[in-house]
Amino acid sequence: MTTLQLVEVTAGFGAVTVLHGIDLDVKDGEIAGVFGLNGAGKSVTMKTIAGIVPARSGQIWFDGVDITRLDAESRVEMGMGHVPQGRQVFANLTVEENLRLGAYTLRRRDKSRYPAVLDSVYDRFPVLRERRTQKAGTMSGGQQASLAVARALVNEPRLILVDEPSAGLSPKMQGDLREVLQVVKDSGVTMVLVEQNVAFGLSLVDTANLLQTGVVVHTAPVAELDEDTLATHLGIGRVLAGATGSALTARKKR
Amino acid sequence: MLQVLAIGLISAGIYALFAVGIVLVYRGTKVLTFAGGEVGTAALYVAAFLVTDHGMPWVVGALAAVLIAAAAGLAFEAGLVRWSREADPVVTSILTVALSATIFATEFNLHGNNPTTLETPVRIGSGLDVDGVIVSPIQIAAIVVAALLGFGLQSFLRRTDFGLAILAAADDAPATLLVGVRVSRIRLVLWASSFGLAAVAALLVEPTVGFITPGYASTLYLGGLAAAVIGGLDSLPGAVVGATVLGLAQAFADKYFKGLGLSGLSYVVTLTLLLVVLLVRSYAPEIRKRLAAPVEVTA
Ligand SMILES: Nc1ncnc2c1ncn2[C@@H]1O[C@H](COP(=O)(O)OP(=O)(O)OP(=O)(O)O)[C@@H](O)[C@H]1O
Ligand SMILES: [Mg+2]
Repeated sequence: MTTLQLVEVTAGFGAVTVLHGIDLDVKDGEIAGVFGLNGAGKSVTMKTIAGIVPARSGQIWFDGVDITRLDAESRVEMGMGHVPQGRQVFANLTVEENLRLGAYTLRRRDKSRYPAVLDSVYDRFPVLRERRTQKAGTMSGGQQASLAVARALVNEPRLILVDEPSAGLSPKMQGDLREVLQVVKDSGVTMVLVEQNVAFGLSLVDTANLLQTGVVVHTAPVAELDEDTLATHLGIGRVLAGATGSALTARKKR
Repeated sequence: MLQVLAIGLISAGIYALFAVGIVLVYRGTKVLTFAGGEVGTAALYVAAFLVTDHGMPWVVGALAAVLIAAAAGLAFEAGLVRWSREADPVVTSILTVALSATIFATEFNLHGNNPTTLETPVRIGSGLDVDGVIVSPIQIAAIVVAALLGFGLQSFLRRTDFGLAILAAADDAPATLLVGVRVSRIRLVLWASSFGLAAVAALLVEPTVGFITPGYASTLYLGGLAAAVIGGLDSLPGAVVGATVLGLAQAFADKYFKGLGLSGLSYVVTLTLLLVVLLVRSYAPEIRKRLAAPVEVTA
């Protein structure tokens, strides 16, 4: 079954068209990776799925419903969650207030469920429980990354859109984040993952969509990906390709 | 002494009512609104039209004034603010100045400079005699309402999901949308409440001034702006405290410096207070740093 489907989606700003007909298929329970160079349109794709940037043509289907013209808030109500690029935690609010806002639509639907959900999120992110009264803006990058993921999860989404979560994190913190995202996936949440850090991304995704200036030029399950394809479409130089290649090999072994 | 306190607190109540509306909008949108005074005045004209001209009960006129002001707030947001949102909050602030000027011109065209009156039932109350100064029930109401609003709204913002959403939307509107908050609805509510509050403030102030002319609330509204800034601009209780400080300072200055024969003394007091507060606030971090720094010991 397909959770999310984009058909020939175009989008842009003013006279500029950024997405020139994006096709994307995200199956239930998988992690779909979107990779591409800076400015390829990864974040705009995410924002179009989110409903912050309107699609100019084409269709977006979520759980069998055409959401192309639906506003962003209704998409969240339908079960879409977001971990935006740059994390965008509410810096002046405490950790707990961030999470309470994350569960905004859950709490409107059924407030009584919230304590239990919050508890399970705290169990998954013990550091957030410890720091629940701390202002989010004063936390470290890694902690903010955890908070951004937790804020999306606390609304019990069926699909989360995660945009460059590893940016600015140390290798150790990236490792922690990878584990967290793996656990999220194992709990049955479908995910679209955008990554600059292809090695990090490949260690998680089930399928890879390679994006070049607003078009998906290649889609394949990771098992069928090879280094040459990555290098061609992402323009990755030899050195980088080495790291990416070993990540790919490691991933295929699993 | 008691007299001065009473007079100071009467002004404080008025300033605080305006200041709370100013801070509410500022917290929710980062926009400094200059229109509250004229919006309040226009609302009074509505009330006077119904009560003085058409003999309706004061309550009906007051209610209509508040509702129409709130509706005007909705229209202002949906018609203008929404479209300037991409720009700096400063642009929206200037829009409020333009709105204020437009309302003033309209009032002037319709009524000229002739004072209009609004018969307020509460004025007939006996009032409280504080050492010779009569504090009317409505003046007490102004102080109480302002304090309740200042502290009540503060806990509303922190405790309710809707309040939190207001704070979040002010900091990062796109991220707030992404948690499913209807940010555009929040903005409508904010502007409607701020215009509605301006009407409430004007209704509670009117009996103290005694008549309505175009722009009559402007000076008082400036006091409200100053109080909001003194209180830190983003704190609702701070606005009430700022208003109290300002009201008392003006009353004391009026009493003890009257002999100097200065006109515009209250402006001098307001500006001096503003200057001191702003200076202290901008130097405070530096001073704190120096105090905390270890003392250098030279051999
Ligand atoms: N709000 C906007 N207004 C105008 N152009 C925009 C806007 N947002 C993005 N763009 C343009 O769209 C193109 C794609 O941007 P996008 O943010 O999707 O890149 P990206 O693939 O996410 O890159 P990165 O890896 O650097 O985040 C860029 O050329 C960018 O300048
Ligand atoms: Mg991006």
